[in-house]
Amino acid sequence: MKIWDDLLDEVKKNLPDEIECELKFMHSKSALTRFANSQIHQNVDEESAEIYLTIHKDSKTTTISNNLTAIKDVGEFVNKAIVSLEDSPIDKGWSGLPDKSNSYEGFKDIEESTPDDRAKVVKEFIKEGKSMNAAGYCSTYINNYFVWNSNGLKSCDSSSSAFIDGIFRTDTSAGSSHRGGQTLASLEGTAAGFEAAKLATDSQNPVDIDPGNYEVVLGHEAVSTILVFLEVYGFNAKSKIDGMSPIIIGEQQFDEKISLVDTPEDQDSIGFKIDASGSKKLNLDIVNNGVPKSYFHTRRTANELGMKNTFHELFGWGENFGGIGTNVKLLNGDKSFEDMISDVKKGIYINEFWYCRVLDPITQVVTGLNRNGSFLVENGRITKPVGRLRFTQSFISALANGNVNSVGKHSRYSDSEFGEGILSVPQLHLKEFNFTGGVSG
Amino acid sequence: MFEFLELAIDSAVNSGAKYSDARILISKSRNIAAKNGEVENYNESEKIGIGIRALVGSSWGFYSTYDLSKSSLTNAGIKAFQIAKASAMVSGDDLPFADVPVVEDSYTTPHDENPFSVSSTDQVDLLLRATEQMKKLGSSRASGRLDFWDTEKWFASSQGHKIYQNIIESGGGISSLAVGDGETQIRSYPQSFGEYRTGGWEVIKGFEFEKHTERLSEESQRLLVAPQCPEGTMDLILEGSQLALQIHESVGHAIELDRILGWEAAYAGTSHLELKKLNKHKYGSELMNIVADATLPGALATFKYDDEGTPAQRVDIVKEGIWTGVLSGRDSAAVAGVKPGGMVRADGFGRLPMVRMTNVGLLPGTSSLDEIIQSTENGVYMETNRSWSIDDLRLNFQFGCEVGWLVKNGKIIDMVKNPTYTGITPLFWGNMDMLAGEEEWVFWGTPNCGKGQPSQVGHTGHPASPARFKETRVGVRG
Repeated sequence: MKIWDDLLDEVKKNLPDEIECELKFMHSKSALTRFANSQIHQNVDEESAEIYLTIHKDSKTTTISNNLTAIKDVGEFVNKAIVSLEDSPIDKGWSGLPDKSNSYEGFKDIEESTPDDRAKVVKEFIKEGKSMNAAGYCSTYINNYFVWNSNGLKSCDSSSSAFIDGIFRTDTSAGSSHRGGQTLASLEGTAAGFEAAKLATDSQNPVDIDPGNYEVVLGHEAVSTILVFLEVYGFNAKSKIDGMSPIIIGEQQFDEKISLVDTPEDQDSIGFKIDASGSKKLNLDIVNNGVPKSYFHTRRTANELGMKNTFHELFGWGENFGGIGTNVKLLNGDKSFEDMISDVKKGIYINEFWYCRVLDPITQVVTGLNRNGSFLVENGRITKPVGRLRFTQSFISALANGNVNSVGKHSRYSDSEFGEGILSVPQLHLKEFNFTGGVSG
Repeated sequence: MFEFLELAIDSAVNSGAKYSDARILISKSRNIAAKNGEVENYNESEKIGIGIRALVGSSWGFYSTYDLSKSSLTNAGIKAFQIAKASAMVSGDDLPFADVPVVEDSYTTPHDENPFSVSSTDQVDLLLRATEQMKKLGSSRASGRLDFWDTEKWFASSQGHKIYQNIIESGGGISSLAVGDGETQIRSYPQSFGEYRTGGWEVIKGFEFEKHTERLSEESQRLLVAPQCPEGTMDLILEGSQLALQIHESVGHAIELDRILGWEAAYAGTSHLELKKLNKHKYGSELMNIVADATLPGALATFKYDDEGTPAQRVDIVKEGIWTGVLSGRDSAAVAGVKPGGMVRADGFGRLPMVRMTNVGLLPGTSSLDEIIQSTENGVYMETNRSWSIDDLRLNFQFGCEVGWLVKNGKIIDMVKNPTYTGITPLFWGNMDMLAGEEEWVFWGTPNCGKGQPSQVGHTGHPASPARFKETRVGVRG
C-alpha cells in the first residue's frame, strides 16, 4: 500500500540510528447498516488510517499516535516522539522488538461491499419476522495492518469480516440471533432472521418463576459471554500479574468436557494472522479437557512473568491492557440442541445474557440478566417462556468439574459483551446456575 | 475549516439530500497510567477528520474520512447521500427534522491551564508519587490514571450553521487493590474509574491525590478482613458518586428518546417509559427532581451547542417525582412532538451523532450525610461503585460498591465488604426519603458511557449528593 510505503520511508529518514523503533499503521474501511422499527434508519461508512510510533532508548520508551491527516510533517512527528522520550521515566517493562524471523506478508486487496449489499442482508433478516418489530445491524470491515521495527521485522496482513445481528420484538417478547463470517456473502441473513423470529414468537407472554438454582441450557451468545469474561479477566496474563486472575495453569479447574483453543491459523478464523507487534500468531491450547494450559501473553506480560510470548498483543489497546485471544473456539461435544433439552429435568433455556458485570474478578462472580428468548424446560420438553431473571453466579463454578452436563455439536461465531467475531462456540448444558432475582427484583 | 465543510455539504445537497451537516474535528488526547510507582502506559494522540451526514427519506447516511483534500470532501458528500439512499430498499416514512435557530458562534471551555501545556513530567510524577506511596503502605496493586482531551470542532449545516467549539476535559483517579486469600478488594478516589470534568489542569490539582493515598491503602486492606455485607431488606444510604451512577443507569438511559422510540432496541435496549405517560408517570418520591443541564460550568457534559447545532439548555426531567422530560435530538424530538433538547453528540468525527446524556443530575435536598446517618436505625452506607448491571428496559438493577458501612441507631458501627443492592427503578426512587444539600452536591462525571452501533463512548455528567432509600434489598451474593 503506497501510503504505508511512503510513511515508512519518511520515518526511516528522520529516525536517529541509535533509537529502537516500532511503527504500526492500520488502514480500515468499516460500514454498518442499522435498522430499527423494521426499517433502515442509520447507514454509516468510515475510512480511517491510524499510526502508532514507539521509540526506546536509554531504558526509556514513548508511544505517540496520530491519524494520517494529523501528521503534517513526518519529521516533526518523529521529533515529537524523541522530545517525549526525553521526558519519559525509566521503562522497566520494556521487552524488546521481535526480529526479522517473525515477519509475515499477507496484504491483499479486498473488494468493498456496497450499502445495497448490506441492505439486501437486512431485508432477508426482516422478512422472516413478518409483522414483528425488527432491529439490528449488518456490518462489514476491511482492515489492512502494517508493522515495521528497527530490529528487522516487516509484516503486513489484511482481513475482512461481516456480521448480521438482530432482534424481533412483540408486545411481550423478543428473540435475537447473530451470524458472522469473513465475507458478507457468507452470512445467512435468512437463517438468522428465522431463528430470531421463532424465539420472539415462542417467548410471548412469559411467566415469572422464582429465583434459585436451576439447570440451564445456554445458547451460543450466552456461552460466548461466559468465555469472553474468562478470557479478559482470567486468561489475560495482565490479570495474572495484577493478582486478579482465577486461572491456575495445570489445575483441573473446569469440567473435562471443556476444551478451549485459539485458532488464528485456521482458514475460517476472522482477523489478522499477526498480532500488534507484527509477529505471526500460532494456534494455542488454552484449556485441555478442563485443565488450563496457557494465559494470553503480550511481549510485556511474558517478560514480566518469565513465560513464553503467545503473541496476543492488541492494536490500539495500550500497554496496560494485556492480551486476549481473538480466534477462540470452544470445542464441540456430541449433543444436538434437541438432545440437550431432552436431558433436562427442570431447568431454563437462555438464549442470551445481558449487561453482565464482575463483582469480584478473582472469584469471577458475575451478575447479569437473560433476554431475547428464555424458556422453562420440564421433563425434557420446553413448556413455557419465562420472564426476566437476574443471576449472580461464578463463571468459574459454572464450568467447573461436574457442572457441565454436555456440550453441543454445532458451533457458530457468537456475539459477546466484548465484541463479535472472536469466539466460535456450541451450546452448553450446565447442571446448576444461580438466579438471585426475578421480575420484581 | 468552514470552507471545507461547505464543500462536502454542498456536494451532499446537490446529490439530492434534503438536509446535510458536517463536523471537522481536531482531537488531541493524552493518557497516562501508572502502577506501583512506575508508568504503565503513556500515549499522546491527535486525530483530524470529517464526518458528514445526509438525510434522505427515512434514513441518515453518514460518511467519515481522515482525508481533507478537496476531491475527498466532494466525494464524502456524495457518499453520505448514496449511503442514505441505499436505505430505500428497507425504508419507512420520511424522517422529520425539527428546526433550531441558525447561528454563527464560537465557544471555548473556561479553564485556567490547558493540560497539554503542562509538562507531561509533572503529570506523570503526580501519579508515580501517589501509586508509590500506596504500594509502600501495603497495596497489592496501586494504580492511577490521568486523561486529557482537547477537541476543536467546526460544525456547519445546509441551513447555515457555523459553530466553532473547543472543549477541554480533564480527569483521572487513583486506586488501591488488596489481594487476599481468594478475593480482591479495592478502594478508589475520587470515584471508581476516576473523576472527569470540563476544564484544565486545575481540575486534577483540585483532587489532591496525596491526601487520600493512606486512606485508600488502609481501607482496601481492611476490607479483606471485614465481615460480609448483611443480606436483607434495610435502609440504604448512597454516597454521591454511587448515586450518580444510579442516576445514569436508571434515569439517564431510560429518558433517552431514541431508546423510547425503539431506535436502540437491538443493542442498548429500549425503556420502561412510554411517551403517553409523560407528565403523569410517577418516577420517584417528591424529593426527586432531575434536570438535564448542559450549561453547568465545569461539569463533564457542558458545551454551548450540541453536534446538531442546537443550543445547550436545561431541561426538567423529573419534577417532584413526576416524569416531565426526555433527552432528544432534532429528529427524535420532531417524531415525538417535543422541543429539541440539544442532547445529540458523537464520539469523534468518525461517528454518527446520537442522543447522549448531558449533565443529568439530581437537584440537592436540604439534609446532610451526617443527618441521614444520624436518623438511620438500621442500614448500610455504600461508597464508590464496583459493579453495575441493569436490564434493557432500565428497570431491574443490581449494583455493587467498594465499601459498605453498617449503620445502627444513628451511628456507623462497622465496615462491611462486598456490599450490593438491587431494586426496581420506580420503586427504588419512590423510597428516597432523605437527600443531602448543596454543600455535598458534586458534579460527578462519567467518561465511559457505551452506546450505539458502531459503538461510541460518551462523556456524561451526573450532579448528585448523598441520599437515603428506605427498605432496599442489600447483600445479594452468588
